[in-house]
Amino acid sequence: MQLLQMSLDAATLRQQVYANNIANAETPNYKRQDVAFETYFQQALTANPTEMMGEQHIPLSSSDQVNNLPDVEPTVYTDTSSTVNNNGNNVDLTSEMVDIAENQVKYEVLAQDVSMRLQRLGTAIQGG
Amino acid sequence: MIDTSSMNIAASGLNANQLWLNVIANNIANANTTRTPQGGPYRREIVNFAPATGQSSFQNVLGQAIGTNDAGVQVTSITQDTGPLKSVYDPTNPDAVNGYVQMPNVDISTEMVDMITASRAYEANSTAFDAAKQMDLDALNIGK
Repeated sequence: MQLLQMSLDAATLRQQVYANNIANAETPNYKRQDVAFETYFQQALTANPTEMMGEQHIPLSSSDQVNNLPDVEPTVYTDTSSTVNNNGNNVDLTSEMVDIAENQVKYEVLAQDVSMRLQRLGTAIQGG
Repeated sequence: MIDTSSMNIAASGLNANQLWLNVIANNIANANTTRTPQGGPYRREIVNFAPATGQSSFQNVLGQAIGTNDAGVQVTSITQDTGPLKSVYDPTNPDAVNGYVQMPNVDISTEMVDMITASRAYEANSTAFDAAKQMDLDALNIGK
């Protein structure tokens, strides 16, 4: 649940950043921004494999907290490497539209996942 | 968290592109205007965009405090194109000097291309707005 919340927050931030890119599609010298979250998360998990969750990982003691997720914040970065336009702007409207659609679907999936988990919890509480 | 920032950003894009379309329409309408209140022929107007930051509205101050200080786009100014005017030979025109009339530096094909760019950008912002709205609705449906 905690991970889903973090992912939802990251998707919200990503939506803001993409909306800003699209709004500035005609602004001279504007450089597009993006959000790094999943890669940082992956790196944090690889660096600390004990925090990796899954069937193979069985907590042996109470001090070994499975739900202790790595403290990773979604970070906004600016992409200065590419150039699309001759006015110094590197917003490619097509790829932004693809990104925004993808992000929207991702958000929907995450929101549905949270919903279904809550539903299951409700079923367990009420005993079916 | 309900995110209204994305919708505001998309709205700023819609506003900016609407203004750009207005200016383009004005340029096309005045493509043959040889007399302006300032004197001389009409000069093409250009819209200047800039990322909107540094405004001291409550939302922006709060956004900066929590690290989301992206506030969309703004039109900083509308400037006149100082490019050369077209000279057209038309001795019967009352504004003619030595048979030549100074015509506005409005190029219709440039304006048409700009118009399509502006309306596509408007559509893109509208789609971004819809996406943000749908995400908010999804968030409202969590737990239902």
